[in-house]
Amino acid sequence: MSRIYKAIEDAVGSKYVSEEDFVRQAYGRSNDGALPERWPDVVVRPRSADEVSQILRIANRNKTPVVPRGGGCDISGGSKPIEGGGIVIDLTRMNKIINIDEQALTVTAQAGITWAELNGVLFEKGYYTGNLGPGSGMSATIGGGLCHHTVGGGGGAKYGTCTQHVVALQVVLPQGDIIQTGSNASVYVKEPFCRYGLGPDLCSMFLGDQGILGVKTEATLEIFPKPPYHTAKTFTLKEPSDVKAAKIWLAWRKRGELGIYDSNYLPLLTIQGFTGSLVPKVDFPVFKAWKGLNKAIFFYTMEGETQEELDSKQKIVDKIVVENGGEPLGDTIEKGNWAKWHYEQNGHWQNFHGLWGCMGPGSIPCSSEHHVPIHRFPEMIKKLGEWETKNLDKLTKAGPALSGVSHVLLCGHTAVEIDSGLVVWQDDDKRAQNYDLWIDQLKMIDKEGGLPYVMGESISRAFVAAGAYPGPYYDFLRSIKNTLDPNRILSPGKFYL
Amino acid sequence: MSKQTTKVPFTNLRKLEQMVASCSRIGDCRQMVRPSAGRYDVCPVKDYLGGFEPYVARGKLRMADGLLRGTLNVSDGLAKSIYECTLCGSCKEACHNSGDACIELPTSRWIDHVKVFEALRADLVEAGYGPMPRHREIYGSIEKEHNPYFERHADRGKWIPAGKELPAKGGLVLFAGCTEPYRQPELLTSLLGILDAAGVKVAVTNPNEWCCGSVAIRTGNKPLAESLAKHNIEALQKAGAKDVLVHCSGCYRALKKDYPEIVGKLPFNVIHATEFIRDLIKDEKISFKEAEEEAKVTYHDPCHLGRQTGLYDAPREVLKAIPGVQLVEMRRIRENAWCCGAGGGVKSAFADMAVSVGIDRLAEAEATKAKFITSACPFCRGNFIDAAKARKARIQVKDVIELVADAVA
Repeated sequence: MSRIYKAIEDAVGSKYVSEEDFVRQAYGRSNDGALPERWPDVVVRPRSADEVSQILRIANRNKTPVVPRGGGCDISGGSKPIEGGGIVIDLTRMNKIINIDEQALTVTAQAGITWAELNGVLFEKGYYTGNLGPGSGMSATIGGGLCHHTVGGGGGAKYGTCTQHVVALQVVLPQGDIIQTGSNASVYVKEPFCRYGLGPDLCSMFLGDQGILGVKTEATLEIFPKPPYHTAKTFTLKEPSDVKAAKIWLAWRKRGELGIYDSNYLPLLTIQGFTGSLVPKVDFPVFKAWKGLNKAIFFYTMEGETQEELDSKQKIVDKIVVENGGEPLGDTIEKGNWAKWHYEQNGHWQNFHGLWGCMGPGSIPCSSEHHVPIHRFPEMIKKLGEWETKNLDKLTKAGPALSGVSHVLLCGHTAVEIDSGLVVWQDDDKRAQNYDLWIDQLKMIDKEGGLPYVMGESISRAFVAAGAYPGPYYDFLRSIKNTLDPNRILSPGKFYL
Repeated sequence: MSKQTTKVPFTNLRKLEQMVASCSRIGDCRQMVRPSAGRYDVCPVKDYLGGFEPYVARGKLRMADGLLRGTLNVSDGLAKSIYECTLCGSCKEACHNSGDACIELPTSRWIDHVKVFEALRADLVEAGYGPMPRHREIYGSIEKEHNPYFERHADRGKWIPAGKELPAKGGLVLFAGCTEPYRQPELLTSLLGILDAAGVKVAVTNPNEWCCGSVAIRTGNKPLAESLAKHNIEALQKAGAKDVLVHCSGCYRALKKDYPEIVGKLPFNVIHATEFIRDLIKDEKISFKEAEEEAKVTYHDPCHLGRQTGLYDAPREVLKAIPGVQLVEMRRIRENAWCCGAGGGVKSAFADMAVSVGIDRLAEAEATKAKFITSACPFCRGNFIDAAKARKARIQVKDVIELVADAVA
């Protein structure tokens, strides 16, 4: 490997490349609960698209696999090599904001900046990116989020997934060519402002691609003025709470635009976990105000341009919630208003990711989060329950491993995100059992019509293994991959490609 | 060169195995911006060092996991990376989400990052990979002269102004430390002036006081730390101490937090000078001169005093009581404060890095338009003075007690 190391060192400088064991080992695992540790041979931290291009050209010459990595917060093995070895490109050094264009209403930034750092600067100017990235947005990068159609870190109900608001991308193709997509693909466009209008939308090809088609080095996103008024309210829901939550969301959507920024449903099991009554050894309330509460929770946050607008829409919103069995908790965070914490205390970036491992030291999730239409989510929760019953013995033998749904959130106009999955124990002896259970649950979800969006290694492979892609579609995907990456050097193995 | 870990038992780290296993690798310790909580970034050294994972807590915990499981071998490079950390504890606060009164994250019960890193350092010392060469020289000075500055023990009391008699016994005993007597005596004379003005009598244990052991604790020499703790406790007991007054934040943390962990409950109270002065002001034992001019002053939370021992308010209350002082806060304060860069053995082993981090903090202080950056720690003060020279900074560096002493009538 020393020849490749030397070539990369010449490209980026010795300070920003390493083949030391202790560095490689640190990049060998992410949040993935049941995947084995796999070390890259070299880790490199480039500062520009040109340096990324040079690295990819070196990798092609040497037929060496490359995996791009953002904040390393991924849950499905997306930022480490599938076979081990190769080069990991740590993009977090590329964290500069290039331009905030208040005329075109866009921000252009290097892909290694975190969602929180970018939005922290935008907040000060009265803007935000609408969708604020993933739940791990305090440490996750925009490049990583755009690889995944991320939604859970705030603004999902109003703005949908983060990828919906991309105007342009700078991408380094697997063989090292640097291209501009979106409006930047025209040499005559003066500033990026729109993704469409110059033939096929090739920008979209790199959105949600899990890093298999190119390395995103720069992104231009729409920015929105942060509305001056907001409100946030939290309710308890009677059982069957999932059915009631789905009814509320459908009723809202059928009333048109109501200014809902976020809305979450937290099943009873989650509340029991949060209040310390689910697992004896976890004897403290995560959210102190809910101690003793034994009901499912439902909340919304809303934004408005005027207080009058907000008040009138809130009356409609509240009426629908109350008609479906919602009972409001107090107004303050101390009285249980999680929604207020979520919106005002940047809780959207703490939404569950900060609670991983909550079943005890050494526990970690194997997420199977996915999207379904709003009206289908109670049915999917039922299917997950049936899967748990069927696999109870295996779950018990695996630790015990737990299975469940932490929360469901409204995503765009038509969908919800179901944050389902397992909580397993980080134990090498049980890793294979955990992995099998995880993949089995993922396949069940795929076959029931759930759409995964954070896919990385394990979830993308499960989707293929479940037979979700029709042959011609998968062949088309493969041919695109082979055309762009004939040496199969970029993220090989994801989607079994 | 890597060596086989089978020869390294990691006895200290193994006791904290559950903490190591509790990291779920989300990475808020790598980079965290949370505007609502005043949190803007986490680790003061990562960018200086190239930014690879081992230079932030998540990567260090990964390394600890690998060492315990035997999948990673110790190397000189690994050991160096463990020492290239100021142990400021900012990562712990980010991980625990400490600014949030309503949420208690599981990690706050399960992971104490600084404890893990100190345990790993202790194992590295036992295995012969640690400390850094300069630390080893400092151990020699402490063992021979009871101070880390290569000064004669006999000179420890030279800071006491000529003609000033301080009793060797009393209920209130000053623990002077090493940095101030040998390098910054003006801080001790300031403190003495304040106490005199308030009519407070204080004893000193000199020449029986030895180094508090902070440098040994932070860099992994547990036997040396234990012997120093035992010696000092005995000396303070012999002096009749009911209350021990400490100004140096490193000494304060050692006495207040580390000594009880090493030897158990102490037979005296440990009080920081800013707490003591705050109470004197409240009790109207101190009167101030009228201010000649108004001055904006910003306050830097020393890691030993703030994140490590939770003392955030007393220095601010003291500053606010000084006539003419307008306290203006930096962007990152209290739990979110940026480290000065000097702690954890970094100043002695990696001086350039310490100054670089200090320059970052001075830039933040200058953004407040303050005339003075103050602290309550001679280590922060010393590093800021070095950083100010390197940066050619406009802002002046002072300790809180210097401003008090200047203002006392």
